Amino acid sequence: MIHMSCLRSKCKGKFTIACNFYVLCFPPASSPGYIAARLRGTTRSVKMLRTYEGIRFFSDKQMVILDIGSAYTKFGYAGEPTPRGIIRTEIKCPDSKELRKIYNYKDTEDLYQLLIEFLHALFFKHVVISPKDARIVILESLLVPTQFRDTLAKVLFRHFEIGSLMLLSTHLATISTLGVNSALVLDVGYKEATLIPIYEGEPILKAWQALPLGGQIVHEYLMKSLREIYPNVNITEKLVEDIKVRTCFVTTLERSAKLETADAPKPPPAVKYPGVKSINIPGEIREKAFEVLWERDNDNLSIPTMILNAIIQCPIDTRRTLAENILLIGGTAMTKGFASRLKSELLTLVKSSHYSEKLKIQTFMFHTAPSKPNYTAWLGGAIFGSVDLPLRCLTKENYLKSDRVPDWVSLIDNQRDESTVCET
Amino acid sequence: MSYLNQPDYVCYVCNCGSLKPISKIYFCRHCSKIRCGYCVCQEVDSHYCPNCMENLPSSEVRLKKNKCSNCFKCPCCFQTLSTRAGHVPLRVAPADAEDSKDVKTTPKKVYYLSCSLCRWTSRDAGIPDQSMATGGWPEQENPHTYRINTLIDYHKILASIEKQQSEKKKFRPKHPYMQIAMFRITSAMVRKHIGHPTKPTTESTDQPSPAVASTEVEELPTDIFTEPVEVTKITTLEQRLQQPDIQTENVNELRPQHRQLLVRRSQRCRVCEHNLCKPDFCSQSAKFKIQLAAFYHVPEVRIVTCEPLRPGKSSELLLKFCNPTQHQTQVVLLPLDTPMTPILTIVDEKEEVKQDNAQQESESPNLLPSIVRQVPVVEETKPIRIIANADVVFPQNCLILPRRDDAAEYDDTGDTHNFQDDPKFVIWRKGNKAVIKLHVTPHENIEENNNRPVVIGFVMQYRYVNTITTLEHKAPQKLDLKVKLYLTIGNIVGSA
Repeated sequence: MIHMSCLRSKCKGKFTIACNFYVLCFPPASSPGYIAARLRGTTRSVKMLRTYEGIRFFSDKQMVILDIGSAYTKFGYAGEPTPRGIIRTEIKCPDSKELRKIYNYKDTEDLYQLLIEFLHALFFKHVVISPKDARIVILESLLVPTQFRDTLAKVLFRHFEIGSLMLLSTHLATISTLGVNSALVLDVGYKEATLIPIYEGEPILKAWQALPLGGQIVHEYLMKSLREIYPNVNITEKLVEDIKVRTCFVTTLERSAKLETADAPKPPPAVKYPGVKSINIPGEIREKAFEVLWERDNDNLSIPTMILNAIIQCPIDTRRTLAENILLIGGTAMTKGFASRLKSELLTLVKSSHYSEKLKIQTFMFHTAPSKPNYTAWLGGAIFGSVDLPLRCLTKENYLKSDRVPDWVSLIDNQRDESTVCET
Repeated sequence: MSYLNQPDYVCYVCNCGSLKPISKIYFCRHCSKIRCGYCVCQEVDSHYCPNCMENLPSSEVRLKKNKCSNCFKCPCCFQTLSTRAGHVPLRVAPADAEDSKDVKTTPKKVYYLSCSLCRWTSRDAGIPDQSMATGGWPEQENPHTYRINTLIDYHKILASIEKQQSEKKKFRPKHPYMQIAMFRITSAMVRKHIGHPTKPTTESTDQPSPAVASTEVEELPTDIFTEPVEVTKITTLEQRLQQPDIQTENVNELRPQHRQLLVRRSQRCRVCEHNLCKPDFCSQSAKFKIQLAAFYHVPEVRIVTCEPLRPGKSSELLLKFCNPTQHQTQVVLLPLDTPMTPILTIVDEKEEVKQDNAQQESESPNLLPSIVRQVPVVEETKPIRIIANADVVFPQNCLILPRRDDAAEYDDTGDTHNFQDDPKFVIWRKGNKAVIKLHVTPHENIEENNNRPVVIGFVMQYRYVNTITTLEHKAPQKLDLKVKLYLTIGNIVGSA
């Protein structure tokens, strides 16, 4: 299946480690300077600095953390354990007066106007902050289309005149919620499922995985099946989303194998869903709604194979660590039975002929972040944004001077910095 | 403004390229230019609670996490909850009659929250009643706060280490071959090179314990296949997202949430940084401290009537012009391709000097001296999407509109002004308003049924008296300003 984020996949395989711009300071190994500090025993001076940092942080302007997902936008302030709110990533278009999803943009200009409208509402209705000279952290996937990224930066700097912007990788920022350095982060959101393994603080980009499996495809399935049963009822996506959240679940592997066969298990009870026209949701639909995530596509890919394929593409000595540090994030991963189904799928697949040769891993271990999966990435940003790192921010002056955003796919930002090499 | 809810028939083109009706644009008196909500700098002016209308200073807002401490909203339907008073159910008095008399004191009043719309009450949710009306309601706490704070502290330490490192780099001695520096390089580099994760032997106590992964995951409850589901007992996604840290599935576990504060915005011109619109600080007041709406400065154009439009045929169009200012103005209609530079005509009544326009263009008066002030960030102008598809015969003479006189509105005796108007051009005149007649010819290629309305466009040049200069003890400036207008005058009736 050809995928949106393949736009950037030209560099696939070339980058084992990302450029410095994306490397978090969190893992000790990623920052050689930090090791030197450790070796010289600077921990005493660190403790002194800490109180000073606290004072400075409070007097400073608060940092706004935004995670603009394809379905929901999470927003809040740095250093807080919970986002201030989660809203739909959609806005009423001023020209056509219809509610539009930001990610369903037509072209760059359309996206520019949509983002202005959306961010305006976000800043003044929800975050309630004057965007001028504000410090903003945005969480983005490493696979986000360049067009979206550049337009977003342009809107923030040119229209809202924000002070500084820090773009953080979703997968990388997420691990700061755990306090570990290596994790295999699988983000199952609305439009797509993306996976990037992180080892000792470095994203292993050559092992990236992305499939268009997420909430959207589940909605499409539900809409199709419900429209067949109730052709006269107006089945909207909002209705389908509510039905999905309240009644559907991911069934077990054993039951799923029998579903299409003759001796199918007894379906779960049907649910009466009230509305203008009350509809009855059959048990089969409730059970089968999420099956699409586990079915193999033409390339024999699905969510569990993403994890296994990623592990295979990683260096052999990292595989075990990654398999024992899996973290699931994203709203779709919160579905009842999702994690247990994933685990049983993984254990079955590993024994299959396709993987048993290549992969000698027997156990998979899952992390639980101190948050709900749908805002874990935001929390990672909030933890990371609470520290004062002016060097990692793109300031307004720098943006206006260069008129571009540093990007890991761009060679200009990937040049080997001679000075740092000498120094470390 | 009667046309607030109507489609925008008469649109003014703002300097940023947006098309807006006159009720939605500003006029910056300092730049003498039209601004709109798109091209001004919006700021948060004051915070207030939409329910109790209490004003809060921004420091307090930050402390209270942008929430009103007194008002709650219903966790089910998001309406404001009201506080209800109830009585404690009296305990069964002991058998002893004398004692019961003592116990039977005044029943204690208790308070609970209730939603008048969906009938949710705090008693349903199992929240204990409060003895005070003002609250003391239990606050929800994120169960992971402690852990997250430990992680934040740890990250702050790492950041300060990184900062120290970068500062050290700045003051690095010029000799790169200093022995100590050399040694430091090699040990660190070798460790990295051989791929050791370099765990320092002495772990500082500040490092939080890393999260432990487990093979156990939350299993699907087996009764899901047999137990019937009552949808009304399960929360909707919207209800869950109102309380992101809990996101409970059970309706009974929903807790009332504090109402979020709203803001009043003030608008500032991006070029000269003057306020264009500033609301009154008091949240109950609907007045403005500063309100530079274009409605008070730019002549207003309305469509009176238009003859049925036929492609290629000339039709009469009646337009009403209204001068809202306190000074007499003259309006000239020009074709769309007229250059838009304003002309400064008269600085002083006595000496009529035509000044250089360029100076006026580049240097707009500013509040702050140029050193302090930031360079305005330039945003590209929006392209104008609308295309005029009808020709207009522009009149040669200009229309003079007298100043607005509120008393004249009630004066039926007729006009005292004596204007030498061409009766073919000016149809009607009263006070500061006048109706003119234009001839419009829609293009031949417009068809009746393709739903494309006939649009005309012209440049309106108007005389504007800038009184802001009187603040600097100068004579008022008289400027000839221009604004582009697009009018949607109707649909094609019949074919040519």
